[in-house]
Amino acid sequence: MSSTNTFTLPRWFRGLLVLAIIYLFLVGVSSLESGIKVMGADTQERLFSSVSNPIVGLFIGVVGTVLVQSSSASTSLIVGLVASGALGLDQAVPMIMGANIGTTVTNTLVSLGHVRQSQEFRRALSAATVHDFFNLMAVTILLPFELLTGRISWLASRTAEILTGSGGSEWKSPIKAWVKHPVGWLKDGLKQASLEETSLGVSMVVIGILVVVVALIAVTKNMKALIAERLEASMNRVLGRGGGLVAMVIGMLVTISVQSSSITTSILIPMAAAGVISLRNIYPVTLGANVGTTITALLAALAASGSDALTIALVHTWFNVLGIVVLYGIPFLRPLPIRCAELLAELAVKRRSLAVGWVVSVFVIIPLLVIAIFR
Amino acid sequence: MVLSFFKKGESPLERISHETVLMLGDARHSFDLASTALLAGADASAVSSDIRATDDRINAAEQRLRSELVVHIAVHGGDDIGVVMGYTLLLKKIERIGDQAKNILDLAEDGISLSDAPDVDEFLMRRQTISQMYVDAADILVSLDVDDARQFLDRSMEMNRECEQKIHEYMRSDEPGHWAVPRAVLHRYWKRIVANLAGIVTSAIEPIQTLDYSDNGSTDIVDD
Repeated sequence: MSSTNTFTLPRWFRGLLVLAIIYLFLVGVSSLESGIKVMGADTQERLFSSVSNPIVGLFIGVVGTVLVQSSSASTSLIVGLVASGALGLDQAVPMIMGANIGTTVTNTLVSLGHVRQSQEFRRALSAATVHDFFNLMAVTILLPFELLTGRISWLASRTAEILTGSGGSEWKSPIKAWVKHPVGWLKDGLKQASLEETSLGVSMVVIGILVVVVALIAVTKNMKALIAERLEASMNRVLGRGGGLVAMVIGMLVTISVQSSSITTSILIPMAAAGVISLRNIYPVTLGANVGTTITALLAALAASGSDALTIALVHTWFNVLGIVVLYGIPFLRPLPIRCAELLAELAVKRRSLAVGWVVSVFVIIPLLVIAIFR
Repeated sequence: MVLSFFKKGESPLERISHETVLMLGDARHSFDLASTALLAGADASAVSSDIRATDDRINAAEQRLRSELVVHIAVHGGDDIGVVMGYTLLLKKIERIGDQAKNILDLAEDGISLSDAPDVDEFLMRRQTISQMYVDAADILVSLDVDDARQFLDRSMEMNRECEQKIHEYMRSDEPGHWAVPRAVLHRYWKRIVANLAGIVTSAIEPIQTLDYSDNGSTDIVDD
C-alpha cells in the first residue's frame, strides 16, 4: 500500500519558497510601520486613543485575532504598530494578551464539526476549550499583575536589552536594512499615484496588513507540507509517551515550525474526537503551542525599528511562559482548565447550543460589548 | 526524544507498513506453535503462554497502529484516506488470523492430537504450505508486486478449494465424530486463515471499495 500520488514541490524548492515568503512577511511588517509613520501624529492619535483603556485593548486584541484567525498575524501587526510609535508598550500589552485568547477560537470552531456524535463532540470540545480556559485564566491572573506591577514588561525590556546588547531605543535591527529597499519602492510607487500623506500612509498600512496575513497563511501552509511527516511522528510520540514536559516541548517545536498555534491545536481535535489522545495529554501540547507561536512576533520585531518592538514581542513570550509557570507549575491550579473544559463539554453535549453560545459570546459578543461600553 | 524532531527517519506510513509485516511474523509464529501442539505432539500448555503473549502483542500493535492512522489523517487531511482505510482492514485481518491460531491451540488444549494419526503427513504438508503463505503475504506487502499478488491469490483459492473439499469429505465420513470433527474444524480454521491472508494481499493491490468483493459484487473472500 502506498500513499496517493499527488504532485508535490521538491523539498529544497519549498524551503526556498518559505524563506522568500518570510522575507515578504518582514517587508509587510516594515510597510505597516512606515505607513503609520507617514500618517502623522494627529491621525495616529485619533486611531489609537481608544486603546488607552487596557480592558478595551484586551478585547481589541481578542476581536482582531478572531477576525484574522491567527495570533501570529495580529501580534505581528501589534509589533509593527509599536515600532511605528503609534501604540505605546502599555497599550500594546493587553492587546497581546487578548490575541492569546482570540487565537483559541480556531480549534474551538474545528471541534464544532463533531457536533453530531455525542461522545466525539464531548472529547473534541473539551480538547479545544482547555486551550480557551487556560488562556482566559492566564489573562485573568497576569493582566492585573502586569497592570499593578509592570513586571512582565519589565522582564521583557530587560531581556530585550540583553539580546540586543543595548540599553535603549537606539538599537538597529540588521534585518531592517534588508527590507528597507522594497518598502522604499512601494512608497515611491504610491507617491507616483499623487496620493496625499494620509492616503499614502493608509495605503501602505493596508498593503502591509494584507502582505503580513497572506505571507503567514503561505508560510504555515508550506511549512506544514514541509514538516508533515515529522509533525506526524511527533504526534505519535505524544501518544506513545503521554503528556508532560516532552509533549509541551513538542507542541512548541511544531508550532515554531508551522508558525501557527492554531495548526498544532487543530490537529489535536480530530485525534481527541477519535479518542486516541486524552485531554490530559493534549493540555501540555497546547501550552507548548502558546509559547511556540510567539516566535512570529519575535521575527516581526527583527524587521521593526527600536527596542520597543522587540520588547512587546518578548512580552508575548514571557506572558505565555509565566502563564505555564503559574497555571501548570502550581499543582492545585494545573487541573483547573481541564475541569472547566470537561464541565463545559458535558453541558454542551446535553445542550448543543451552549457550544455555539460559548464561541459567539466569548469571542464576539462580550468583546464587542466591552469595547462599545468602555471606549 | 525531542531532538528526534529534527532528524529525518522512516515516514510514518512506511513505519506502519513495516509494523504490519512484523505483526504478520508474529501471527505466523503463533500459527506454527499451535500447529506443533496439534500435529507434532508438543505440550499444548507449554506453548499456550507464548501464543497468548504473541496474540496480546498483535492486539496491542493493532490498537497502536489504528491510533497512528488517525494521527496521519489529522495531519495530512483526506489525501491518504484510501490507504488509511485499507490499513484499517488489513490490521483487522492480521488480528483475526492471530485469533485463529488460538483456535487451533484450543483444539490441542481440548486434548486433540493428530500427531499419531495415519493422515498426519498430509496435514503437516498443508500446514507447511500455509506457514509459507504468511511469509509470501508479508513479502507482497513490502514489494506491492501485482504479479506476485495475483499468483498468491490463485494459490490461496486453490488451497481453499482443497480445504473445502476436505471439510465436505469429513462431514460425510462414516468415521466416528471424534475422528471426523477435529479434522473438519482444523480445515475450517485453515480455510479462514488462508482467506484472511488472501484479504491481506488483496488490500495491497486493490482499491478500497472493491476489497473483499469479486467483480460481480458478491463476497470474494470468506473470512468469517
